[in-house]
Amino acid sequence: MGWREAISPAEVRATLDDEAPLGVDFGALDQVLARLTTEVGSGETLSACVQLATVLPILRSFAARHDLAGEVADRLIEGTATVALAATEADLAGDALLHARTRLTDDNGSWRLVGAKEWITNATSCNYALVLARHADATHFTSFSWVLLPTSADGVTIGPAAVARLEGSGLGHLRFRDVAVDPVWMIGTPGRALAQLTRQLSAERLAGALWARSACRNALQQTVQYLSHRETGSGTRWCNSAIRARFTRCLVRLTELDSLCRHYVTRPPTQLEAMALKVTMADVASQILGECADLQGAAALREGGIVDLRSELAMFAIAGGATGSMLEQLAEHADDLLLPRPRGAL
Amino acid sequence: MEQEFVDVLCAHLPRTGGAELSPSSDLREFGLDSMRSIELLFAVEDTFGVVLPDDRLTDDTFRTPGALWSAIEAARAQANT
Repeated sequence: MGWREAISPAEVRATLDDEAPLGVDFGALDQVLARLTTEVGSGETLSACVQLATVLPILRSFAARHDLAGEVADRLIEGTATVALAATEADLAGDALLHARTRLTDDNGSWRLVGAKEWITNATSCNYALVLARHADATHFTSFSWVLLPTSADGVTIGPAAVARLEGSGLGHLRFRDVAVDPVWMIGTPGRALAQLTRQLSAERLAGALWARSACRNALQQTVQYLSHRETGSGTRWCNSAIRARFTRCLVRLTELDSLCRHYVTRPPTQLEAMALKVTMADVASQILGECADLQGAAALREGGIVDLRSELAMFAIAGGATGSMLEQLAEHADDLLLPRPRGAL
Repeated sequence: MEQEFVDVLCAHLPRTGGAELSPSSDLREFGLDSMRSIELLFAVEDTFGVVLPDDRLTDDTFRTPGALWSAIEAARAQANT
């Protein structure tokens, strides 16, 4: 089942909060992600996560003054359109967006788009791509614009990414070969796109943490059930104190992640906090899913079992900002993180 | 430059080291990197209730305190017309 069948338009609409700084009602989004975690596969949940936490709030922020953005946002809510966020560049590290090369050029008063985006969620299923494109040369956040590009436009080609997992994620690559850009596809103010995306990534990272929490909770519930029924001749695996200790360490990690999620649902994280949260949730998910796989033994290897889930959710440490990149950026701002009170809004 | 602006600006600069900002100070030397620039944009717009004009959304605007203050004044003038 796809996420569109699992979640109604009303439930999608409930995840929006146009008055909130990031445009998301994280409590409602948490409920949606918790349901998706149990009802659809990880690829489908990834597809939903990007669109609900990032794409839809950005489109909604333009809806009042831009007809196409409003129309596409409505179609996304109703389930009649899929929109990819096309930010990550071909042949460029995901965290190097300041150096993005996908380019808007002014051709005697009309814009042309040239470039390539890779590892884009929803690429193979989208009707539109929200493309982060450079309109100025300076290596500065003000050099970027949004293009809400219909993927049926001449010059747009889409290919699937070579991945064996994450069915339903639509992971793929986009190429723009001298695409003539209709002015109505240009949404928002030139110069604000990267600033808006950077801020919205905090929402996506929090959504990822909410998803990781649900996935870990489900895995631990399955594991304790397995252990409680696995006979050893003198009881069950759950009676073994060493096993209980290993399991309980996982519970402690889940509680840590849960505490962070509960906090940030009421007050969304700043950029640095969201990076730290992303590292934490990737570490917690890796530890818990790894331990659950060990504790379940051969049962973990069944098709769709914990080993498969662990393999798919390894992307918590990759997609939307790899752990190494997060750590590097956190290190760059160590002085901010070590202050008793944060400087500015970082 | 209004003191409120200087206060907002300094809150985003990790390397002032007690030095006084002048309108022509190089903000990058005071530690204004990309992430801080983005937060500074949102902070000045929130503080002064303005939206920086499209033609001021450039790297030059974030190079010196004077350039950024000038953009804020332009936004205020635009809002009053």
